[in-house]
Amino acid sequence: MLILKDIIKNYEVPVLGPIDVEIKSKSFVSIIGASGSGKSTFLRLASGLISQSSGSISYKNNIKPKMGFVFQDSTLLPWRNVIDNVLLPSELTKQNNSESIEKSINWLERVGLKGKENSFPNELSGGQKMRVSIARAMVQGGDLLLLDEPFSALDEVTRRKLEDDLLEIWETNNITVLFVTHSVTQAVYLSQRVIVLSSGPGIILEDLAIEKNLKDGFEETSEFISQVRHLTNILKKEGREL
Amino acid sequence: MSRYLSYIAPLLTFTILLILWEFLVILNKIPLYILPAPSDIISSLMLNYLDLFSSAFITLRITLLAFFIASSLAIFLAILFSQSRIVELSIYPIAVIFQVTPVVAIAPLILIWVGFDNAEYAILILATIVAFFPVLANANLGIKSVNKNLHELFSLYGAGRYQRLTKLQIPFALPFILTGMKTSIGLSLIGTVVAEFVAGSGTSTGLAWRIIEAGNRLDIAKLFAALILLVILGIFLFLLISYIEKLILRKWHDSSII
Repeated sequence: MLILKDIIKNYEVPVLGPIDVEIKSKSFVSIIGASGSGKSTFLRLASGLISQSSGSISYKNNIKPKMGFVFQDSTLLPWRNVIDNVLLPSELTKQNNSESIEKSINWLERVGLKGKENSFPNELSGGQKMRVSIARAMVQGGDLLLLDEPFSALDEVTRRKLEDDLLEIWETNNITVLFVTHSVTQAVYLSQRVIVLSSGPGIILEDLAIEKNLKDGFEETSEFISQVRHLTNILKKEGREL
Repeated sequence: MSRYLSYIAPLLTFTILLILWEFLVILNKIPLYILPAPSDIISSLMLNYLDLFSSAFITLRITLLAFFIASSLAIFLAILFSQSRIVELSIYPIAVIFQVTPVVAIAPLILIWVGFDNAEYAILILATIVAFFPVLANANLGIKSVNKNLHELFSLYGAGRYQRLTKLQIPFALPFILTGMKTSIGLSLIGTVVAEFVAGSGTSTGLAWRIIEAGNRLDIAKLFAALILLVILGIFLFLLISYIEKLILRKWHDSSII
């Protein structure tokens, strides 16, 4: 799906790289690391929002996949109601038609916001706003979903519910997910693979395939705990407490 | 209760002050040409209402026209600035120069340029200059304040300049623009009156001219009556823009949600 080869990103100072990584199609990959490790830069490079200082990014069959991006804040346009926010990508790509309206309504239903189509963002809770943001990212039928610490500002209960909803979306839509987080437990819970970045300039410290035998109650298993411990120790060695 | 109190308290204070004023003038036998009592001012207002209201209408017309021209020009320039840094660097300092130059200092010049027979144009230009900057500064700030993530979102979907401007930057800047307009509408009125004082005497028949005329004749009650009309005009214009602001922002902006 996505191959990053010898990627380096510098601003005034080096912030990332060199990075060599391949993201497989339909995988769920989390990127963790301390603040300033270049996690968000990694995501923006993968999305093409910024360009690398050196190295190359290539896509499967040389076709850039359709992407959806969920930011740390919901980035909803406050002057648009929920349905119009979800329709924004269709409008910007000039595909705004009755089909896209239908898709938007369907996605709002899927993320549990049926009946909220005409509400404005200021009438929604933080969790609901994030759901709209996910619906907007998915409405164009993207192959790659990029999420930049999307649940960090939410309370525990809402966050857990959204994590499960995200897993359900990933499983049922055959998409690839790149998920940036600062939470080790969240990364292990959600992902098939966790990439740990060192503090800036971020290089890959660990690329761990998560062993996940049980779907329900995974967090209580010894595999879960040992993998969280392993990743936490790596980050502690790096001299950063998460 | 507190909602009514916010109306009752200032009204009550104002009424008490008026009563005090009335009694102080009567008790101290202050001459009419120094300080008329409120009852004298009301009498003068009723006696001269045709003169005063027609002058108020002239002042209002120029104020609104100046406000409209200033706002349109300022928003247009702010949009232009957002599209070209060079244009902004070239024009913004000129706008600042106009802002810091006292309107009374350039009034004679404008009057000469437009001709003494066209004093109304001079007033309009001067009032426009006074009202222009707050909208420009606020619109410019609003357009520039768009969240970086929102810009990235638009980039992700390949939004062009026009889409970015119309679907993101202008709506985002609306609360800023309306704040600028609330300042600007008051300045339009002040600019019109000051310009009438400086450039309009004798040829313009706005409220400022009525004030000068009443002052020259020591008709202080009429002078106060004209002043009252100016204050009412100012409050009316401010409330009008506040109402428009509320209509536009009521559904989505925190400032308009009670």
